[in-house]
Amino acid sequence: MSEVPLPPHKLLESPNSRTIEVHGWSITASTNPISNAQECDALYATFGIPLPEMTFGSNVLTLEHKPSGWKYAFTTPGALGEVKNGELGDGDGGVKVGYADKWLESRTDSPSFAMPRTVAKPYDWTYTTTYAGHQYREDEASPSPASSASSLLTVVEAPPRPGPSCESIPWVAADPEDPSQSIPMAELTRQDPIMFYAEIPLFEDELHDNGSSILLVRIRVMPTCFFILSRFTLRVDNVLFRQFDTRIFHSFSKSPPTIIRETSGWEAPYERVQRQLPRREDLHPLTDPGFIAKALAEMPTRISQREGAKTGWRALGTRREIIQLAPSSASTPA
Amino acid sequence: MGSDLDRQIEQLTRCEPISEEEVKRLCLKAREILIEEGNVQVVDAPVTICGDIHGQFWDLMELFKVGGFCPDTNYLFMGDFVDRGFYSVETFLLLLALKVRYPERITLIRGNHESRQITQVYGFYDECQRKYGSANVWRWCCEVFDYLALGAIVDGRVFCVHGGLSPNLQTVDQIRAIDRKQEVPHDGPMCDLLWSDPDDIQGWGLSPRGAGFLFGADITKVSFSNIWNHVLYAVHFAFAVPWNMVPWELDSPTPGIHRLFSGAFAHNNAIDLIARAHQLAMEGFKLMFENRIVTVWSAPNYCYRSPWPGRHLPPPIPYVLVFWRSTRAMTEGAWYPRVFFTFGPGYVR
Repeated sequence: MSEVPLPPHKLLESPNSRTIEVHGWSITASTNPISNAQECDALYATFGIPLPEMTFGSNVLTLEHKPSGWKYAFTTPGALGEVKNGELGDGDGGVKVGYADKWLESRTDSPSFAMPRTVAKPYDWTYTTTYAGHQYREDEASPSPASSASSLLTVVEAPPRPGPSCESIPWVAADPEDPSQSIPMAELTRQDPIMFYAEIPLFEDELHDNGSSILLVRIRVMPTCFFILSRFTLRVDNVLFRQFDTRIFHSFSKSPPTIIRETSGWEAPYERVQRQLPRREDLHPLTDPGFIAKALAEMPTRISQREGAKTGWRALGTRREIIQLAPSSASTPA
Repeated sequence: MGSDLDRQIEQLTRCEPISEEEVKRLCLKAREILIEEGNVQVVDAPVTICGDIHGQFWDLMELFKVGGFCPDTNYLFMGDFVDRGFYSVETFLLLLALKVRYPERITLIRGNHESRQITQVYGFYDECQRKYGSANVWRWCCEVFDYLALGAIVDGRVFCVHGGLSPNLQTVDQIRAIDRKQEVPHDGPMCDLLWSDPDDIQGWGLSPRGAGFLFGADITKVSFSNIWNHVLYAVHFAFAVPWNMVPWELDSPTPGIHRLFSGAFAHNNAIDLIARAHQLAMEGFKLMFENRIVTVWSAPNYCYRSPWPGRHLPPPIPYVLVFWRSTRAMTEGAWYPRVFFTFGPGYVR
């Protein structure tokens, strides 16, 4: 196997963050402890939903392409901002715990107690999010949620405000016929040296012991490219598994610089995945997002990406989009 | 058994599991003790009340180190001993061994994780398999789970439960009537005690999950003032004599209640505080509803991710609720209850 030479690069490290600078990109991963009560209260005030038990409010992954000034980030407030707050409707893929019907049946009015008919504070308790990261602007030096949780949110898919620098570039659908506009698995599975790797958990919740909901962002930078996988994994015990992946790929050699983003939603009924357990009595692999991803991938896509668990969740299927960056449109010096 | 048990305690304190045969005997012995206990255990202050441990053995050790080892300090654990952490086996067996050795010094109440179904998913089953090579230990422990108490009342003032209240339970006496010796059901009042949560709502609400209740501040008043109403009725109208001299076995207006609330309770007001666990409290405890309910969380290294910033600080100390004693105070011509409790890493003796 031929050794791929390492390009010139710089690694910077602080107690809570690591940065790599390579090929005009500056990529920073910050990992911090779970948000404390004060930070949680601030986030709660912004979103109005009970936060996941483990909310990593200050964790963030940022990418900056210095020649064009393009900036992209994965943040916890960004992800929580896409969790449905309020009554769930068509396409939201709302679910209930497995024993909900039985539970409700067992509850009837009694002379001393009138059974409540409505949910106290409706929101998507599974924290399902189709967040695929977001672009942010020059004037926001760093998308630190501690300083401006709400201002970050306004950037997501919002019309760009007039500003002196780079504005949000719309994603365009990739050409399915053009192999250069899809993620080259061969290049990713090649045993190239990994120059930078980070795992950035954004949130995690065990859904009150009814399953789990995890959002984890991972990045690796190799001599020829970088690759990001943001994976949302949901398990609702005895009901379903759901996964939402965002893959971002960029090859340093591509001109003009192109970002490929592939988002895909997966879903399957619980017992469908359970059937794939190595030992029937041991349910422990069902808590492993890796096992779930593999089980979903091995299933016919008719189930995993079209029918799902019949929740009507709109995010099933796969979309591929690209952004082409102008190599030197920005005012920022490289 | 005594010295044998002491050796097992010593061994478990080093985080070394005891043999399968020893587990079997310990579980049998524990069942004999627990079967005699009521659904709601009566506990005297001072007592150190602890929340979820979740198999975090070293958090438990830290807790004992700071708060005093059993039997020097009385302990009340509000469930969720197992799952998630790496040492559920050692944690639960140590607590159980202490229970068998010092039954009057330590109270264990059941959490929603003390269940066959939950432990199969969240790690305890897996850990038993790994450490003993079979599911026997898991099976014996699950049988013990079925005998754990559902709640406790400290000095007649602090009601301790893993989750919260139930709309079907107006009095503590009704809790006593539950047949608890079963797997945690998915519905009914026993399920509520182990699963429900307080929330900023009015009255009772349905959880958005489709099962389970949320209860608001008014519920903590209503539910427990009912108990007090019964007691008031009993004291003021039926017998004008000190509580402990009342011949309750005769025509008590609230049959059964007296067996729970003996002595001091009659002189005091209603339940002053509900202590519960079940939910993560980032700072170790969380007071709600004008301090009428407190969530205690004693596993600070939950999932081995300390929320405490700074890598060079000493490990965080598990929080507990130390209930000291209760008295009454004369304020503006009327007697008001005063509850003395502190939060923190155990009390300084």
